[in-house]
Parts: sequence; C-alpha cells; structure tokens
Amino acid sequence: MAKEEILKRIAKLVAEGDEEEAVQAVKEGFAAGLDPLVILNEGAAKGMDIVSEQYSAGEAYLPELVLSGDTMSAVIEVIFANMSKEQAAASKQGVIVIGQAKGDVHDIGKNVVAALLSVNGFEVHDLGIDVTVKSFYDKAQEVGADIVAISTLLTTSLPYLEDTARYLTDTNTRNKYQLIVGGGPVTPEFAKKIGADGWARNAFDCVELCRKLVAKGNPGAGSTMIVDSEAV
Amino acid sequence: MTGKELVIAAFQHADTPRAPWVPFAGIHAGKLKGYNAQELLTDGEKLVESLREVHRLYVPDGMPIVFDLQLEAEILGCDLMWSENNPPSVTSHPLANQDEMPDKFVEKTDGRVPLILDACRKMKAEFGDKTALYGLFCGPFTLASHLAGTRLFKDMKKNPEYVHKIMDYCTKNALRMIDYYAETGMDIVAPVDPLVSQISPKAFEEYLAGPYSELFKHIREKGLHSSFFVCGNALPNIENMCKTNPDGISIDENIPMATAKEITDRYNLAIGGNIPLTTTMLFGNQQDNMKFVVDMVGSVARKNLIVSPGCDMPYDVPLENVIAVAEAVRDIDKYRELLKNYESAGVGADVELPDYANAVRPYVEAYTLDSASCAACTYMWAVVNDAKDHFGDRIEIAEYKYTTKDGIARSKKLGVANLPSVYINGELAYASVIPNQEEFFRKIESYIK
Repeated sequence: MAKEEILKRIAKLVAEGDEEEAVQAVKEGFAAGLDPLVILNEGAAKGMDIVSEQYSAGEAYLPELVLSGDTMSAVIEVIFANMSKEQAAASKQGVIVIGQAKGDVHDIGKNVVAALLSVNGFEVHDLGIDVTVKSFYDKAQEVGADIVAISTLLTTSLPYLEDTARYLTDTNTRNKYQLIVGGGPVTPEFAKKIGADGWARNAFDCVELCRKLVAKGNPGAGSTMIVDSEAV
Repeated sequence: MTGKELVIAAFQHADTPRAPWVPFAGIHAGKLKGYNAQELLTDGEKLVESLREVHRLYVPDGMPIVFDLQLEAEILGCDLMWSENNPPSVTSHPLANQDEMPDKFVEKTDGRVPLILDACRKMKAEFGDKTALYGLFCGPFTLASHLAGTRLFKDMKKNPEYVHKIMDYCTKNALRMIDYYAETGMDIVAPVDPLVSQISPKAFEEYLAGPYSELFKHIREKGLHSSFFVCGNALPNIENMCKTNPDGISIDENIPMATAKEITDRYNLAIGGNIPLTTTMLFGNQQDNMKFVVDMVGSVARKNLIVSPGCDMPYDVPLENVIAVAEAVRDIDKYRELLKNYESAGVGADVELPDYANAVRPYVEAYTLDSASCAACTYMWAVVNDAKDHFGDRIEIAEYKYTTKDGIARSKKLGVANLPSVYINGELAYASVIPNQEEFFRKIESYIK
C-alpha cells in the first residue's frame, strides 16, 4: 500500500475508534518506511481532526470521543516507542497538570480532555478526582508545568478554582502557570472573574486553547482567553 | 385553579391561565432548614421538614420529593461519596468488568427507598390535594453508566449486545421505581437522564427509544403523568425524546426554550425547565431571575409551558432568587412592567428617606415583592405587624412593595438588594430569612431610645 494510503487509513481508523486496526496500520507504516513524526502528524492527528469536525457538526458524541481517544492513546504509545529522543522532545507541545476540583468526582469530561491533550502532543499529568488546591500546585512545581487545568461539574466546587488562582498568587507562582478552568457550571464570566488565563467550551476547544496559551506565554497577566467553537 | 390543577392541565395540554411553577428544590430544600445534603437524603424527618419549608416559602404548583440520581445505584452496588452541599456521587462501577446482569433488583425495602416513599406519603397527605407531587428516578441510561462506567460508552460501538442487556436491566429497575411511586400517590413520575445529551440521535434510537417508550407507557397505565428530564445540550435528541411519548419534557439552560418548545409543540407535549442554575439562580439577583422568567415566558406560547429551574437547584441558591421567580410566574405582565420601572434611571432619585439617626421611634420597614401575593413576604410583613402589636407606639412600621413605583424608588434609594427584607432605621436587619420573633424583638429593643 502506498504511504499516502497508509496515512489516510490510520486517520480513518483513529476517527472510527478502531484500536486494533489502527495500531496495525501504524506498524504497516513503519514497515513501509514512514517516519514516526509523519505518522503522528499526517496520520493519527488527522484522525482526531476528523472527530473534532464531526463533534462540531453534531455527528460525533461522547461514545465516539471516548473510543477515538482510546485509539489515539494506543497509537501514540506505538509511535513514541519508535521515535528518537530528539523527535519525542520536538513533538511535545507543553506540560499540563489536570484534575477535577476538590469535592468533585465526576471525571468523564475531564478524562476526555486529558486524553485529547495527550494525543495532541501535550505531556499530561492527570491528578484524577477530588484534587486539593495544594496538590495542583505541588504537581505543577514538580513537573515544571506550563498549564494547570481544573474542571468541575459542581457549583459547590467553584470556590476551589478561585482558591487555586489565589494560592498561585500567594506563592508568587501565578506568572509561571497558565491557569485554565472548565466544566458544566464554569462560565467564561466566572473564568474572567477569578482571573483564569483561559476557558474553553469543550475538549477540542481546550486543545486549541492550550496551544494558543503556550504560544502566547505570559501567564497570569490578567486577560482570559476564551475559545468557544459554539459561539455565534 | 389549584396549583395541582394547573400542573395537571399543562400535562394534559389544556389551556391554563398562567404557566405552573415547579421549583426543583432537591438538596436546596435542606438549606432552608440548615441541613446538609447527607442529612437531608438520609433522614426522613429532616427531608419532610425541609419539603414543608419549600412549600411554605416558594408556594409551588408542583414539587419533587427528592432529586437524587444515585439512589438506585447505591442499592445496586455502587459506592457513593457524600458531600456537604451536593447530592452524593458514584465512585465505583460494579458492572464495569461483568458481562452478566445481577439478579438483584431495587426493592421498596432497600437502602433509602423506604424513607423516600414515606416522605412521599407524608407530603401527599399534607399537600397532595393542592400541589402536584413529582416522584423522580434515575433514568436507565444514566443508571447504566453508574453501574458500568465508561465501558458503557465504548460498548455502544464495540459490544451493542451488552448495552442492550444493561439497558434492559436498568429499565426493569426503573419500572419498579414507577410502581413504588404510584403506590404513594405521586401525580407526576419522571425519569431523570442527564446523559441523553451525550449520545447521538442514532444511538438514542438504538438503545433508549424502546426502554423509554416502555417506561412512559407503564406510567400512563398507572393513571399518572410523566415527564422526561434531561440536562446538557440535548437539542439533537429532543425530537427522539418526544417520540417515546412522555406527557412532557424538562430541559436545562443549554437549549433555548423557544427552540425546544417549537419541537415539543409539534408533538403537543408539555415542556419546562430552562432557568439557568449558575449564572442566574446562584449568582444572579432577584431582578435577573424575574427578567429571565418574564423573557422566557414571553418568548413562547403559554400552553404546554411549565416554569422550572434547568435542573436540581444548587444548594446555595439564594432563597430570595427563588421567591422572585415564584412571584414573577404568577403575574408575568405586572412584573414585566415593574422591571421596566426598576430599570428606569430616574426612579429613586427624588425620594427622601427619613432622618433615621434622629428618629424618636425606630422605623421598622419591610421591603417586599408584595405581601398580598408573595408567601415569604407575607410572613415577613406578619412578623413586623407582630412587633407593632408588641411595641405599640414605641415603633413605626411600614411596608414598601416592589409592585409600586414608590416602593421601587424607596428600595433603590436605600440600596435594598433582596426581597423580602426588614430594615430598622435604614439598616438591614434581615434579608430573605424570616426572623425568629424573640430575636427580632430583642433587636428592635436595641434601637428604642
């Protein structure tokens, strides 16, 4: 099969969430002499672009996102195992610490976001559910994060998002980390109110937000970047 | 018409003189009596005491007994994490690695079911003749996700047989909940299935259409009315939901009411919900809440409309915001006019307040929406009158109503943020919460020279 065809097939299989076939196709790509970075960017990542477009068009929903995310994770593992250290480092978009705010154990949405960020080249440290403010801070310090991402579905956990912003300020680290927030009750207005660096409507918007924030730099400068693909 | 008649009429698709008001005070009910979520949902006495307060303050036309989507999951083996001001959350999924469905089904003697059914019976006896009572249960798809975790979503593509099997199991449990609620005399029985918004119309047709049609048929056979509750942007599935033949549906703030109602009207179904929980009810003020309701009701035909929050109200929603909605619903035209007056820049500018600092007798002033119609305002004005009876000529009392231009002007001048409130000599004494008489009298004493 021609290299172009293999890349198209990888993209299609990732979009369809067919994990076994996608991994097999990646291995065929290696056998055909394709570079791991090319497979990642021209094959697998294109598959996620297809899902993103389908999601925006109302053609893909949570089950499709979960399956594609899982498939992409499996594919990435194989691709990275075949990359040189230099290639792996060059493909890294940034370091993210993510978790569900204290008091909140609803993690389906956060898991989808973490998976999408991971498959889009971010080094993701997922702290899971019910994460304390200090745990976000400690992990961010430990791994040298670019972004701290907090999600919640509960209105009662909203204060912890504000507490995190304040904690970073109090520890003189607010200018080290882009603080982004999201989840059901978290509105753009709330994000602005607590001085977050960013807010995104959904998981795909969050990937775009993180890319833009890493490129922009200057965390904690007072402006809140909003990425909302559903905005009219 | 009684409130109950209004709600039933809406579910029977008849014309109503106004849209009925159904506040979803789940855990928020506990706030009214100072109980946290766990106390409310595990103690039948506290639950009923709190529901009585919901009824007293918010004067609902209809109300749910509980709003707890984890009730059945707990009985069927999920671990729960309790928190102070939220319903419990599921933390384990017993069927995540199990293909066969258990023999265990929800019995009316299991878990917290008895205390909830007992609360249903007590509320029915006290309020059932005038207020429509709702029995809510966890919708089978959300229950399936509690039991199976994210496996459910993956298997919708990879193992459809498993999904059909677990949906069938959860539907059987739901049918039992319907029977239990029917025995207690609930008027409306409603599945709450927030995850419906997370699947495609095709997946709905394949996995949910059959079970839901069966549930609504069963509710109808019991002689009850049904409503299909959903959360999130469920717009792609509203039509499918209608096709399962409930009597009504309830949506949250993610779908414009006019857009959703255009669809439900084609199926001649009732529709409710939509008041934004966070931006308006939790963080907004009374004017925001009144305005939302006035605009929402004004944007659609009144027939088939029920006014409700988008979902279970957050625990900390200020009660004055709910009171504002309750009032606005009862006379939309009047409150539309009042909001215009409130927004007029000049109103309040020419009002002169008394010289409180040099007053011979303390001024005890009640600022109300209108004590003639608003229940909480009635209670607030009543305690002020009790004070007058007690203190006689030693105090001056007055009521300033939001329903008059003078009242609006005065409250703007004084900076009154919440109604009803009591001010003594221009200082806020109580906002929204009706004071305890003894404490109130002591406070007044401190102002008497």
